[in-house]
Amino acid sequence: MNAVIDVQHLKKTFNKEVALQDVSFTIQKGEIFGFLGPSGSGKTTTIKILTAQTEKTAGDVLLFGRPADEMKQSKNRKRFGILTDNSGLYTRLSIEENLLLYSNLYQLPNSAVKEALDFVNLYSERKKKISQLSKGMIQRVTLARAIMHKPELLFLDEPTSALDPVNTQHIYNGLRRLNEMGTTIFLTTHDMSEAEILCDRVAFLHKGKIRAIGSPKQLKKEFGDDSITVELKNGASEIIQNGEQDAQKLFHWMQSNEVSRIYTNEPTLGNIFMQITGSDLV
Amino acid sequence: MNISMTRIQAIFMKDYKEFSRNYAVSLMALMPLIMAILYNQTGANTISMYFLPINMVFSIVTAYVQCCLIAEEKEKNTLRGLMLSPASLGDILIGKSLFVFILTLVVVATTILFVGYEPANLFIIAIALVFSAVFYIAMGTVCGLFAKSIMEGSIIILPVIFIFPFGPLFQGLSEAFPVLKVAEWLPSSQLVLLAEALEGTYTTMDIIVPIATIIVWSLVTWIVAGFIYKKRMVD
Repeated sequence: MNAVIDVQHLKKTFNKEVALQDVSFTIQKGEIFGFLGPSGSGKTTTIKILTAQTEKTAGDVLLFGRPADEMKQSKNRKRFGILTDNSGLYTRLSIEENLLLYSNLYQLPNSAVKEALDFVNLYSERKKKISQLSKGMIQRVTLARAIMHKPELLFLDEPTSALDPVNTQHIYNGLRRLNEMGTTIFLTTHDMSEAEILCDRVAFLHKGKIRAIGSPKQLKKEFGDDSITVELKNGASEIIQNGEQDAQKLFHWMQSNEVSRIYTNEPTLGNIFMQITGSDLV
Repeated sequence: MNISMTRIQAIFMKDYKEFSRNYAVSLMALMPLIMAILYNQTGANTISMYFLPINMVFSIVTAYVQCCLIAEEKEKNTLRGLMLSPASLGDILIGKSLFVFILTLVVVATTILFVGYEPANLFIIAIALVFSAVFYIAMGTVCGLFAKSIMEGSIIILPVIFIFPFGPLFQGLSEAFPVLKVAEWLPSSQLVLLAEALEGTYTTMDIIVPIATIIVWSLVTWIVAGFIYKKRMVD
């Protein structure tokens, strides 16, 4: 497996304030990696260091096996795409004019614009000026710009934060398609369900430190329990653990047709984050 | 440096479209023309009088518009988008300057026509005007890169708007205030000195010194612009 991103002991300070402390993680080619944490935890700073927009204070940061600093070189910038909440668009130009500019900067055929607009479901709106668009539509245009050149590595900073459920689902499907085509995705979010749906692995970032890392399944196994909750028709509910005694109890309720609902007590990623850090994700 | 004509053209076209739809800035380009027409009515017929509106074109149109275009890119975070694209430093700076350069040439030519100035040597004056345009674009770029918003850019550019066009007039006060002698070395003053020299008998040095001075100003300012641009690539 090839590491697309390799970060070891990354530290970043702004004046005397520590933004990132001893952050280490590796992302393999073809992975969708979620960087989860509340606002101010250091997610955007990490993206900025990885894309050579901010200099690190200490540590090693490699992209495609080369120091991240080399991403400043124009030939390397074709290898990644980026969507951040401050990715600006030209408000007096139309959606199509904005994307045409970037298709020329990346020296792509004009068909790339249509493909990107189809990806974000905006082709029919392409003549609209950016100044006339809602926040969600602007987010989709920015995403179209980020994926237009089919980058090997895609950085997405809160990609669906301003989208409605229908467009969110549309974007998820598109991102999965891109990933199947080989694009590695580095995603930051504080939306745990988004991470569960999309990510192969996640890292919990809290106050500049990684507190846990692994696949959602692994983390749930590690931090959750095996119990299930049984709701009975009389309104009572009971927690059932593995074991002979609880199994007998459950068998009895089912035999006497008393069970109304059964559900697992598997924690959500949000529950695990809270358990580890003692704070919420928002 | 890696330069791509496709990218330069793309940035040029983008700036043209943005400028033509931004009336607050595009109307500024008309101001010197209106002034030139009014100026013509006053019967101005000396070189320094002819060059006051011409030097104003350089500060109001060239430096101001360039400053606003770049400051707006910073305000709306679009400059970072360009910096993260494969466009090189050269592509972005040339692309962003080309539109203002062409606009400057058109407005300067029209102003010269309106004020009724007929250069004794059009070729040499044209060379000096082209290098002056290059200098003022660099000046606008530096101011734009320093500004965080158009509003801030409009304030940062004010010294350029006041000092450079009126620099040649300061020379008249240099006997009373010797410190004002430095105004002689402003590119705007050198342009006037060159034009005055061309009207009479002149030596080669009378031509080389003003043009070389303007080129040195341009080079130094562009080096500063490139340095600030590189600094702005990272937070």
